[in-house]
Amino acid sequence: MSQPILLLKRADLEPGKVRKCEVGGVALAVYNLNGTFYATQDGCTHATASLSEGDIVDDDCIACPVHDGTFHIPTGQPMSFPCEHPIRTFKVIDEGEDVLVDLDQESDEAADAV
Amino acid sequence: MCNTQGDTPIRLKRRPIAQSIENLDQLMNLEKGRMSRDLFWDRDIYEQELERIFARCWLFVGHESQIPKAGDYVSTYLGEDNVLIVRQKDGSVKGFLNTCPHRGNKVCFADLGNARQFVCNYHGWAFGIDGALKGMHASETYEAAGMDKSEHGLHPVAHVDSYRGLIFATLDPEAPSLAEYLGDMRYYLDAVFNMDEGGTEFIGGCVKSVIQCNWKYASENFVGDILHAGWTHDSGAKAMVGGPVAEVHKTPEQSYHVNFNGHGWEFNQDIVGNCATLGEKDLLKYLYVLQPKVAERLGELRSKMIGAISSCTLFPNTSFLPGQNTFRTWHPRGPGQIELHTWTFVNKSAPQEIKDKWRKGTMMTFSPSGVFEMDDGENWEYSTRSNAGFVTRQQDLYLGLGHDTRVEDTDLPGNVFQGQINEANQRAFYQRWLDLMKADSWKTVPQRDVPKMKEGV
Repeated sequence: MSQPILLLKRADLEPGKVRKCEVGGVALAVYNLNGTFYATQDGCTHATASLSEGDIVDDDCIACPVHDGTFHIPTGQPMSFPCEHPIRTFKVIDEGEDVLVDLDQESDEAADAV
Repeated sequence: MCNTQGDTPIRLKRRPIAQSIENLDQLMNLEKGRMSRDLFWDRDIYEQELERIFARCWLFVGHESQIPKAGDYVSTYLGEDNVLIVRQKDGSVKGFLNTCPHRGNKVCFADLGNARQFVCNYHGWAFGIDGALKGMHASETYEAAGMDKSEHGLHPVAHVDSYRGLIFATLDPEAPSLAEYLGDMRYYLDAVFNMDEGGTEFIGGCVKSVIQCNWKYASENFVGDILHAGWTHDSGAKAMVGGPVAEVHKTPEQSYHVNFNGHGWEFNQDIVGNCATLGEKDLLKYLYVLQPKVAERLGELRSKMIGAISSCTLFPNTSFLPGQNTFRTWHPRGPGQIELHTWTFVNKSAPQEIKDKWRKGTMMTFSPSGVFEMDDGENWEYSTRSNAGFVTRQQDLYLGLGHDTRVEDTDLPGNVFQGQINEANQRAFYQRWLDLMKADSWKTVPQRDVPKMKEGV
């Protein structure tokens, strides 16, 4: 297990918002879903696009800003056309005011998914 | 046609102006009230109208109330050019041709809605609400080809602006400002679209229909023709209100034709004459109660116009009826056909039941099955179609009413004529048409009318 890396302070990202963070040479989209933080790869698996420029829809999905395809944020699974391949998720560790990420582990939800 | 100027790509590409049809002056002699029927039938004249009227003028594209939020859009037409009018994140409004710059397919098939992006069905080119190309299916191949996305956004219209909630757009970068284009007609527009400080809104949807007539027959009817109402609409009026249309030709002292830059408004001062044809007494009461407040805001004359016997056309092809509250654009579809788009407008602050009655009223009177719309459509179709006759179309038409009715001694803005039974506005409409058709660019369109209003009002 690698060392968790600081992503941002909780106060830096409002509920319902997404922003891009670059850590360890990886571009991440970081989400605040009603106080629970998630992180996924920022690039869309369909075409060149930065998911952090999209909108959060249906409570916990990210709509790609280019073709409006959606991914389920907690598990990374593709939800609608034209998205076919899941996005990589990362384990987010909540330490009080700090939000950290472990680039070697998936989110708990993705790891639990069959 | 891929012209660029300096470093800035010009995405609204225009051909140099085409050669004009010869002898346009021979199409009309307005002094004598004579006009050729070629205006309503000739295909070459129509093609020149698309270029010199519809790709040049400020045309109505929507009401602010239709697109309140970022991403809200309407799809409409500037002539036969399909455009998307889109509310931006900063609250401004932009317009784009509804066509993908890759292979030309439409990028939006809905009439209105809210979008995060417009994605072309053909190859998945995706555009932001600001028109910028954001990406496409198989994007790697474009990246390998070195394609610069910033050069391939949706083609923007030249300008978008609004007056009293009415949004207009022009495809001509050289067009004068909207304020200059509307000119003194803004004074009269306020009587309807600024009678109440809350402004107006469109309610319900857009009712569309196709009429086999030339677009100018519809526009010129609303620009000044109340004359037809007493005859054409007699049966409709009797059905709706139990009596004939008011005999306005017997009282010219209380009514006017006013026009400016080819826009025109014929009006009485009876406060509720148009509204009465909807057969809803509550609407009359609403206007009678409002009238003194409008008099305080805008003065006596305009307060008497709020629902009076009247009609207006904003050159070239948008019209409305005070009191009946129908708002409409006559989109040209060749010399012999229009696609009519209509909406119902109301004061935003009016009670809901009043708004509902106006919506029902416009459906009863000025929808495809409305008692007045059916009367008009039949007339305009045969006024157009009769010109299929080779000899028939060589016979002039007459539009000479009211030649000596100009009111010179008046403070009213615009060109003012006494008596709403008149053809002064129609002549001004066709004069503007002729001026635009003859001009190679906006620079050479004669400014016949002298504004009394300041530009920035």
